[in-house]
Amino acid sequence: MIYYIGALGLIFIGLFIIMTRHNLIKMIIGLNIMDTGVNLFLISIGYIRKGTAPIFSKPGINPGAMVDPTPQALVLTAIVIGVAVIAMALSLAIRLYQHYGTLNMRKIKEQRW
Amino acid sequence: MNPVLLIVIPLGFAFFIPLLGFISRKAEKFIPSLALLINIILSLSLLPSVMRKPIIVLLGGFPPPFCINLFVGPVGVIFSLIIAIVGFLVSIYAWSYIGGDGKREEKYHMLYLLLLAGATGVVLTGDIFNLFVFYEILCISSYALVAYLGEKAGVESASKYLIQGSVGSTLILIAIGLLYGQFGTLNMADIAQNINTINPLHLFIPLVLLLTGLGVEAAIFPLNAWLPDAHSSAPSTISAILSGIAIKIGIYAMARVVFTIFGAYQILLFLILLGVITLLVGELSAFSQNNIKRMLAYSSIGQMGLILLALSIGTVEGISSGLFQIFTHAFSKSLLFLAAGYMIYQAGSLKISSLEGMGKKMPLSSLAFSIGAFSLIGLPPFMGFGSKFMIIRSLLEKGNSLFTTLAGIVLVGTVIEGAYFFKVIQRLYFKETAESEGGVKEAPVGALLPMIFLVVLIISIGVYPKMITGILNSCAGELLNRLEYIKAVFGG
Repeated sequence: MIYYIGALGLIFIGLFIIMTRHNLIKMIIGLNIMDTGVNLFLISIGYIRKGTAPIFSKPGINPGAMVDPTPQALVLTAIVIGVAVIAMALSLAIRLYQHYGTLNMRKIKEQRW
Repeated sequence: MNPVLLIVIPLGFAFFIPLLGFISRKAEKFIPSLALLINIILSLSLLPSVMRKPIIVLLGGFPPPFCINLFVGPVGVIFSLIIAIVGFLVSIYAWSYIGGDGKREEKYHMLYLLLLAGATGVVLTGDIFNLFVFYEILCISSYALVAYLGEKAGVESASKYLIQGSVGSTLILIAIGLLYGQFGTLNMADIAQNINTINPLHLFIPLVLLLTGLGVEAAIFPLNAWLPDAHSSAPSTISAILSGIAIKIGIYAMARVVFTIFGAYQILLFLILLGVITLLVGELSAFSQNNIKRMLAYSSIGQMGLILLALSIGTVEGISSGLFQIFTHAFSKSLLFLAAGYMIYQAGSLKISSLEGMGKKMPLSSLAFSIGAFSLIGLPPFMGFGSKFMIIRSLLEKGNSLFTTLAGIVLVGTVIEGAYFFKVIQRLYFKETAESEGGVKEAPVGALLPMIFLVVLIISIGVYPKMITGILNSCAGELLNRLEYIKAVFGG
């Protein structure tokens, strides 16, 4: 239970940062926190306290005590995707700073409705 | 032939492009066209057999609920065909349009193929997490492509697009986590099979999160702030692909989630409401633009509203008309962006007023632009007439006063659409300009060929819509008939 609360907390903190901050770097950090929250959430779905890895290495392991491996595979993929997105975002931030001399999204308003 | 090739070929060729750069710089721009040509042939050869029976491809050799399976049904193949056709034509256009200023262009071609590989993957997969992964391939490459030119506007809109898009993808991932927690499976057919065993209240949050996340890419009304910026500041070829393909993938995934996985017909009325708002907001904003690409981008938002509205009617006719509108929009809007691309290049400005008199200077591009616009408005004998006619007919067939009103709203949207497109066309042909600038000449042949091909497609389907209505009906059947979908996957 505590993991779910922590995960949701991280997700909401990230969302809050993205919505309220105007600095692009801070928004990217918020995005990263949100990603971490989601990853924690996915891991905690399959987590069993004092469980073991689902490998038949020694005989007589209780199958009920095995941790579900699928969410862990999902998280691995999600981490890779998250890294790609963050790297992309940071490189865009560098370009943006070269063009405008600021990272404040409030001041960067070339495009408008 | 193995349908996996549809995904593998663009993906493999994409990573082959940078390597090819060591051997020959000139050849790399032909690789996307080659890969997509193979995809067109593959999709066409698969089409007759999947019309009879969908092909299930098992990856990894396990039986369905445990492996990732591809579901190659009529919807998947027709979408991959459209992706390949539009992608192929746009890649031919890009031979002359991209590069030429001495910059290395292998990044462009690689990301372009990755985008299309992601799109093809989304429409073919039968596993919800796999869908997310392909969707992310599509999104990340489109963020990069919007910023490809590296100038002010592109970078700014790409960063806005990235922030909004990745919040959306995060929501999808949360929803996938919730679904996995409840069902213990990620297979779409397996979830669909067991959907009735779970309390509907517990399904509401994943459904809403999925629709919100996918709605960002599909540009449904409150989530579409990124689209006009991103589509108008990207290079024209990329605008054509984003408007023609990328947003359709969002709406396809929404339809798959609502119809196949959840069977959530109760939410359709809400989606109809969103569709109407999106339609009106998009068309009204397009009307007040004086930047040609922004106008086209807003028009895309309006069209997405129309498509969502048509799909959410929820009958066979409604869904097939929505799919028909998806294809109309894919062809017409990419034609419009391609035609506008060289006109903007020659005029040196994005303002609609700077295009005055282009009808004389660039007759073929202007003609292509006009045909794309007529098709989107829905004039006969172009493709848009058939699709709009089917949408109106399926709305009226519901016989309900609500749906009759909706048909009226669709017609109002069409009138607004006509107003702003005719405004541009009038400027193209009937405005005299000062003959001062002499250097304006027609687009190169390599760019004209894809436009002509799109025009031929639009007119031939418009004259003879029976060519695709049969396919569309079986697509609608696949989306609506969940039991068949489940049976096909589990091999009943």
